[in-house]
Amino acid sequence: MAKVKVATVWLESCAGCHMSLLDIDEAIVDLANHVEFTRSPITDIKEFTQVDVGIVEGSVGSTEAEETLKELRAHCKILMALGECACFGGVCAMRSTFDKEDVLKRAYIETESTVGGKIPKPPGVPELLDKVKPLNEIVKVDCYVPGCPPDAKTILYALTELLAGRIPVIPSDMMRFD
Amino acid sequence: MSKITLTINDKQVTGQEGDTVLDVCRNNGIEVPTLCHFKGLTDIGACRLCLVEIEKERRPVPSCTYPARDGLVIRTHTEKLETNRRQILELMFAERNHLCPYCVASGDCELQSLAYKYQMDNVRYDLSWPALEVDSLHQHLVIDHNRCILCGRCIRACDEIACAHTLDFGNRGWKDMVCADLNQSLGQSSCISCGACFQVCPTGAISAKSGTYRGKPEEFTGVDSACTICGIGCSINALVKDNKVVRIDSPDLASSRGLLCYKGRFEQIYDKKNRITKPLMKKDGKFEACTLDHALDAVAAKFGEIRAKHGNDSVAGLTTSQISNESLKAFKGLMIETIGTTLVDTLDGDSFRVIHQGITKFRNDGKLDIEISPEEIFKADCVLVAGADPLTTHPVIGAAVLNAYKKNKANIIVLDAQKNSFASRSAVWLKPKQGKEEAAIKALTDSLKKVDAGKSGKDAGLDAETLVDAAKIIAGSKNCVIIYGEGIIKLQNPDVIAALLNLAAVVGKSDKGSLKIISLKPQGNSRGAWETVGLCGMQRADMSKVKAAYIVFADDGMADPKVLDAFKKTEFLAIQASYLSPITERADVVLPSPIAIEREGTYTTLDGKSVSVSRLVNPPDGTKQDHETIREISQRFKAR
Repeated sequence: MAKVKVATVWLESCAGCHMSLLDIDEAIVDLANHVEFTRSPITDIKEFTQVDVGIVEGSVGSTEAEETLKELRAHCKILMALGECACFGGVCAMRSTFDKEDVLKRAYIETESTVGGKIPKPPGVPELLDKVKPLNEIVKVDCYVPGCPPDAKTILYALTELLAGRIPVIPSDMMRFD
Repeated sequence: MSKITLTINDKQVTGQEGDTVLDVCRNNGIEVPTLCHFKGLTDIGACRLCLVEIEKERRPVPSCTYPARDGLVIRTHTEKLETNRRQILELMFAERNHLCPYCVASGDCELQSLAYKYQMDNVRYDLSWPALEVDSLHQHLVIDHNRCILCGRCIRACDEIACAHTLDFGNRGWKDMVCADLNQSLGQSSCISCGACFQVCPTGAISAKSGTYRGKPEEFTGVDSACTICGIGCSINALVKDNKVVRIDSPDLASSRGLLCYKGRFEQIYDKKNRITKPLMKKDGKFEACTLDHALDAVAAKFGEIRAKHGNDSVAGLTTSQISNESLKAFKGLMIETIGTTLVDTLDGDSFRVIHQGITKFRNDGKLDIEISPEEIFKADCVLVAGADPLTTHPVIGAAVLNAYKKNKANIIVLDAQKNSFASRSAVWLKPKQGKEEAAIKALTDSLKKVDAGKSGKDAGLDAETLVDAAKIIAGSKNCVIIYGEGIIKLQNPDVIAALLNLAAVVGKSDKGSLKIISLKPQGNSRGAWETVGLCGMQRADMSKVKAAYIVFADDGMADPKVLDAFKKTEFLAIQASYLSPITERADVVLPSPIAIEREGTYTTLDGKSVSVSRLVNPPDGTKQDHETIREISQRFKAR
């Protein structure tokens, strides 16, 4: 049987969900027999190719994140939102209740340790969006694994379901938002 | 009440007339999800999660407000209802900023639990990210509007349980918000800090500053006990983790005695510094830590030595009334039975003596059970508060007065030279000249008896009109309760107490049995102390001739260092205390004592009931219960 091709990306996030993915212990060996990771922070491959499953960690808070997400969506059959940020906005979305300009000023100019700070502008850096958004406000998402980060066993459950050809829905007793 | 039969989910079930559909469901084991419902509060059907389908109703109806009737045919879990419920949860998450990873309530949140139950792994609506305030100016509570679902539980608890009605909804529609008073910060509002809103909040919208981020419910152990702070004896349930109290709740908030106050709920949770954990002995003017054996031996030996040289009454004993009856009995055993001194007192002994003498003047036996239980306040249609500010000293009794004010439309009459917390709610404020309380009480009594009160009224500085108003209200009431406290007790005049008792007899039209009067005793186990130590001939004699004294101070925060002025010439001072303070500075030997949350035993409430107190956490290693330490000294003294 041909291996299932998987691409993973991290958008605005802390990498914790990818860590949790690697935390599935020896099951990862078995998983590697069935899954081929293409573009992913784990493989360090940068180009998108057509894959079966796209896994996204993090929320969408910049034009770069938005582009990456759209590109992955165009290259995958099933898109999975992994973690609290991807599903609901998470910690990154703390800034959504503030004005974007205020956030930038606070970070680059008003920081107590900053003297003569300047707000970086595109094209050097990507533009921030007004609000940080969960994935489903930008693209169609097929399945969700919430948690900050999700437990390794929950991620394994979702991947096992996908390998069995089912769209995973996390059972109530495995659900976690924190 | 008659029985009714309904059909729920194709099953015949029974209920009682007067039940709501939700009551019937829950009593029959059918779990209908709710967020705005809280047992004991009026249901308002705000959250819409408990919607059920009832035959002949055009659309789903909230089961919490729908009266159950004979013959109703109900469905509680149809696909449509379950889809609606998930959708309602999504709308709640989309409406405000519900961000579980950094919310104080995560893991102990009813909204989150329901989202898990309904497998709400995403929100199909765009999140609205409103910019909302967090009000953290209150001493104990934080209101985070970001987490609020506008269920109104806090508002109803504030109104119906605390009877303070500080909280209410402000604004309309999208801008609807839980507000304190006229949209003030909670810390600057009329809030009585009872914490009922915090206990009923289903999310992280109202949280306590104490005990937050200390872990999840499954990591806590629950301990049932009673609060020992002010002598009301409120039942409490404490959550404990790693030998620290994380949270204190009322086990049955909606019951008549279910309310807690800020002292019982919040203040016991904070750790305080300067804790004494090891016995200390003074050597060349400085304290040195020593073993408990060494300290106890030294105390017993010194007491023996001084007694042999100067006689029984050269040794005196003084105790706080915050400790348990067991400890008080052990104290009495040591001082009176073992050492044989007559110089024994409690720190609040003056309060006892004046109340005791007052009762004796009125009725020879001097028994404290002349007073009634605070339960009576809930039935009162008139409350006379004399020289007391229960909302500060005994807040649960204060809230009971508010309860009578709200639910029975009781008139509050304040008799106080000082302004108290009821001033704005009182029908009449009798404001006697400082020190003229007795004349004021007599004038009121005379007015009630329709005797000319002109002279005593004038003497007290009260005008005739106010007196007549107060007398009219009292005469027109059926159930008038008199509460007196510190302001009266500190006058140290038994005649004032006797005058109040006489007033109570006139109001109640009988001087037999219990009178509708309650004294707010100063400490957690005042009544226990007075009955144990006080009634065996307690006296505050001339302590200047005392050569040695044993003071059980524990964590008493009320007594000031002046209590030691009487012991200026004392050769040897042994003090049992929880914290280092100016009082312990004077000691020759300091013995460690547990603090309130570490004590166990029985306490006597201010109305004479016995309550059992469990320790919520263990005392530090080597710190024994007070009665154990005291008994050890007795044994060593006898074995010398």
